[in-house]
Amino acid sequence: MTYVYYLLLSALLFALGAYGAMRRRSVLLLLMSVELMLNAANLGLITFARAWGSLAAQGAALLVVALAAAEVAVGLALVVAVFRVRESTTVDDLSELKG
Amino acid sequence: MLLAIGLPLLGFLVLGLFGRRFKEPTPGVLASALVGLSFSISVYLLFVGGERFALADWLPGIPLALSFDHLSGYMALVVTGIGFLIHVYAIGYMAGDEGFSRFFAYFNFFIAAMLTLVFADSYPVMFIGWEGVGLASFLLIGFWYADWKNADSARKAFVVNRIGDLGFLLGMAALYAFFGTLSISGLKEAIEGSLVLPAGLGLVGLLLFVAAVGKSAQVPLMVWLPDAMAGPTPVSALIHAATMVTAGVYLLARSSFLYVNLPDVSYWIAVIGVLTALYGALSALGQWDIKKIIAYSTISQLGYMFLAVGVGAYWIALFHVMTHAFYKALLFLASGSVIHALHGEQDVRKMGGLKKYLPRTHLHGLIGALSLAGFPLMAGFWSKDAIITATLTHPFGGLGFYLVALFTAFLTAIYAMRWYVLVFLGEYRGQGHPHEAPAVMTVPNDVLAFGATFAGFLALPEPFWNLIEPFLAPALAEVEAHPFGLWTEWGLILLSAVVALVGLWAGYTLYANYFKKKLPEWYRAFERAALEAFYVDKIYNAFLVNPAKETAKLLGFTDRGLDATYVATASEVGALGRVLARLQTGYARFYAFLILFFAGLFVLWGVVR
Repeated sequence: MTYVYYLLLSALLFALGAYGAMRRRSVLLLLMSVELMLNAANLGLITFARAWGSLAAQGAALLVVALAAAEVAVGLALVVAVFRVRESTTVDDLSELKG
Repeated sequence: MLLAIGLPLLGFLVLGLFGRRFKEPTPGVLASALVGLSFSISVYLLFVGGERFALADWLPGIPLALSFDHLSGYMALVVTGIGFLIHVYAIGYMAGDEGFSRFFAYFNFFIAAMLTLVFADSYPVMFIGWEGVGLASFLLIGFWYADWKNADSARKAFVVNRIGDLGFLLGMAALYAFFGTLSISGLKEAIEGSLVLPAGLGLVGLLLFVAAVGKSAQVPLMVWLPDAMAGPTPVSALIHAATMVTAGVYLLARSSFLYVNLPDVSYWIAVIGVLTALYGALSALGQWDIKKIIAYSTISQLGYMFLAVGVGAYWIALFHVMTHAFYKALLFLASGSVIHALHGEQDVRKMGGLKKYLPRTHLHGLIGALSLAGFPLMAGFWSKDAIITATLTHPFGGLGFYLVALFTAFLTAIYAMRWYVLVFLGEYRGQGHPHEAPAVMTVPNDVLAFGATFAGFLALPEPFWNLIEPFLAPALAEVEAHPFGLWTEWGLILLSAVVALVGLWAGYTLYANYFKKKLPEWYRAFERAALEAFYVDKIYNAFLVNPAKETAKLLGFTDRGLDATYVATASEVGALGRVLARLQTGYARFYAFLILFFAGLFVLWGVVR
């Protein structure tokens, strides 16, 4: 039964991250929200790994950690590049590619 | 010989490319000089005794061959000789026209194509010339193309000629299938040497005859020639009277080795010929346009030539080609002078009495009309009488042909007189002051008038001299004629002379003071029918042209419907795309929302299921 609390925490964190990703206009906060969602998913994975004693889910969690690192590296690099051109880190300014 | 074709072609290129840079008379003088040179070359070649040129391996069995024998030499003299005179005349007639140099470029092109046709020693080469003259005819009928009617006439001539050209192509294909060659001299040897002829040879004869019918405006493909008068008058004289339309006769004479073996086909040629002669003569009686009267008379005279070919009198047909070229070119050029003098008026009802104003042209018109009518001792008399007599003496002839031909000769005399009387006699019925044509136009007519008077003396009946028959004999098929005794023959000649004279008298009494007379109602009805050329155009329109037009319209309508469907579909898809494109707002936050929303939906779907 204790797993339920972990899963609830995971869901809460994910919801916070999703809310942040939709509401925040700063690129940096957007990236942090995405990180939050990734780690919420990680928490879920670990919880299930504990519950079923499965190593595969733990492996998946490690993979997510590596992916998140790479994502942040690329994301921050993009933020720096965009900032040099636009002098701004607001995502709503980057809306030229619309239909 | 190549030079004879090449010089007018050169003229066409030079005038076509640089004609605009020359001042007014230069293009005309240049073109005339080149055709004159071609004429001299032809005369020279005739004296040295002919020439042959052949590229043996043009196509398998089809040499690119030209030959200058007596037949092609004779025809070349007519084409370049008459052509030269008409070129000179046109310098005066076309003076001041915007397309002066263009006109002479086309004219030279025509001469080059016609000479190719004449010199050809294989049917495909002849076909090249055949199409070339067709193109020249099209371009020159529609010379004043700004007027919609002229362009329509040009198209009509072209389309009707296509039917004949199809016959030519199919005929060549059949000949190739039977003999494996299309060289004319090769075919001649093959046919004269073989004992058993292929059964389908009649079909070949018929198909080539269809080609000749199209080009020479015989019944039932005669409808294009009267409309071809939309072109300038020298064009009518050169192409639609003297030379191009006789190409059909030339084709049949060239293929005489074929037709002499085909009595059935020859019979039909004679029937078509005599029908055309009668039809043309009757239609000519109702026309009011000075050129259309002569156009229908051309159809009629071409019918005579076909009659001669049909009965097997090949040399007489060519004799008539020559005399006809003289007097018909003369009639057209005299008409041209009249039209020129009246500033473009072509309606004979507004002419009359021009004898006083145009003495020279009056003389030309008189000589031409008398020669056409077969006034004794004129050129037209000897050649037409030779044809009429030939219907009795030659193997494929018959009494029926003789009677119809004689009656047509009577009609010919009437309409020739009608033309002359309405234009030159009586009182002037128009406005304005007519003026005589300049010398550059009257001098060529003098030469033609000389020819129209004396050309007949080249071939007189027995016991006098006949220069043309032995001259052409080597190039034509041998036909066994059964000439009458001297008394019968001269009796027949006297009969046709009397017929012509009675016709002339009848024409004069009928049409002198024509506009003050009261004529019986049946004659008025006949005139109205003749004016419409017996409604042939209307019948063709009702049965062929309009159904074709309606079909085209229907197909066009269907096509537009299909098109509209496609266009509508495309525009609907485009509109949908524009609506969907609104989703692409460009805001990353919105995209994130969409991803989450649909991922949630996806999970929900999994749970509910």
